[in-house]
Amino acid sequence: MLDGSEGAVKQKAIELIVRYAKVLGAQELCRVTWADLFCGCHEYLDVSGSDDFDAVFSKMSLCSELPVKLKAMADHCICYSGVEPDCTEVPDQMLMALPKRAQNQLYLSRFVDAGVVLSGNCIPYLTGFTPLAGEHFVSCESSAVLFINSVWGGCGNGDGIEASFCAAVCGRTPLWGKHLPANRQATIVVDIQSVPQSIHDWDALGHAIGSKLPAHAVPVLKGGFNRPNAIQLKSFFASLACAAGTELCHIMGLTPEASAIEKTLGAEKCSDLLAVTAADIAATIERLNPHQRQKIDYISLGCPHYHIDEIRRIADYLDGRQIHPETCVHIWTAGTIKYQSDRCGYTKVIETAGARILTGSCPSSRGYPGGVSTAAYDSAKQRMSAEQETDAKLFYGSREQCLRSAVSGYWEGP
Amino acid sequence: MGTTRVLHGRGALAGVAEGPALISKRTITGWGGIDIHTGKVVEPGHPLEGMSIKDSILILDGSRGSNGWSVFFHSAQVAGCGPAGLVFPKLDSRTALTAAVLNIPLVTDLREDIFSLIRVGDRIRVDGDKGTIEILGQP
Repeated sequence: MLDGSEGAVKQKAIELIVRYAKVLGAQELCRVTWADLFCGCHEYLDVSGSDDFDAVFSKMSLCSELPVKLKAMADHCICYSGVEPDCTEVPDQMLMALPKRAQNQLYLSRFVDAGVVLSGNCIPYLTGFTPLAGEHFVSCESSAVLFINSVWGGCGNGDGIEASFCAAVCGRTPLWGKHLPANRQATIVVDIQSVPQSIHDWDALGHAIGSKLPAHAVPVLKGGFNRPNAIQLKSFFASLACAAGTELCHIMGLTPEASAIEKTLGAEKCSDLLAVTAADIAATIERLNPHQRQKIDYISLGCPHYHIDEIRRIADYLDGRQIHPETCVHIWTAGTIKYQSDRCGYTKVIETAGARILTGSCPSSRGYPGGVSTAAYDSAKQRMSAEQETDAKLFYGSREQCLRSAVSGYWEGP
Repeated sequence: MGTTRVLHGRGALAGVAEGPALISKRTITGWGGIDIHTGKVVEPGHPLEGMSIKDSILILDGSRGSNGWSVFFHSAQVAGCGPAGLVFPKLDSRTALTAAVLNIPLVTDLREDIFSLIRVGDRIRVDGDKGTIEILGQP
């Protein structure tokens, strides 16, 4: 492949993967069977100075000055698209200007032609992207890497956007890090000295742990907490990955590689211990809410994209209620989940109340509607990301607090 | 001029680069921590906020926050605002990929605590062939 005998695009892709392996000190590559890719005409691509797909893809994804033509991803690799630059499926709610929309559609169509499934969400593990235990995957989404490594035993590193594209094209990635069993053992015990119950409790806990974890840590959680479900873990892992860059987190009594703490910790007995208390979590919530109660212009819910059960509960709450006319509420999910929501009538209830269900993106990728000076979220990840994305005053609370705020028009959280 | 202090590690990407140190034990967040058009650190409250990675020797203790980490440094480089050399005391997958993408001199696997020896603005030479980091001068 390196000599170009399998085509120029595979040659360029494997060149980056080999350079990446050499930097890591990896001796071998492994076969990648699932790839979750950051497709579309995202804003960062503007620096390439071109709007030609192959020129942009070559420079920004394959790291090649020589333009090569993308024809197909590796045949043995199932490829999904991740979050898109805007909510392409709901054109009347898009913020992107018309010429850019056409360019985005062209880019997406080239990926479809190359064999990529347009999935357009940040929860691929809930929409059919299912690497099994020991299977090697790549993903552009940090919370997906953490979820799949931890809950399913799939093997993936954080890598980055260029490496996931190159791995999808050449079907290989360096055999290093979480691809090797020896590196999947816990390095630090996290003693959870609180009892998280709600999705919000788990979301805040993820941020509290992530704020205290040392770099490169693989935590194992122990304590008297109740077993979280997949929806709670979705929020927990998103907060943790955002705050600490964690790629793998074991949970005693729950995740498959944490069957016994001694085994999880490996041959080198791990003495590092981190306690996370209810006071740490309260401090996290306080830190993310530095402002007095005031009028709320914008509420973004669904980071990570909502599961259908979360949308069902929102419809239950909003049935018969009305969103404040000066508060804009966006609820983000995957296209397939919106389809379920439409069938169940949840979308109609929610939109009758004055909120919108949007798919494919989030404020981090598409930006903010005009005139937003206060914004609220039920996700620590989105709340943290927003600091770099908007000058608005930011608020963080539970989904219920955000919904009460949506109705009153004023912040009803902590 | 006194004796130049030399730190040793593994040269992981070849070449030699010189520049002012942009160093922080607190790494820069992965999504939106850098303005890709200017190279400036824009993460609110970060110790390096307002400083530029352009032509610097960037020294960070790992990555944080997003699998988009590499594209921010890569985009800054494409926009003409990338760093000259890199030092990551210990690699993770995101920092390693960033180095591979930028393809500039990198020294890693350090034995000494570089954060106690180098300050922002110190003149640094990174030699990715020899695996050395020289402190040429401190302001």
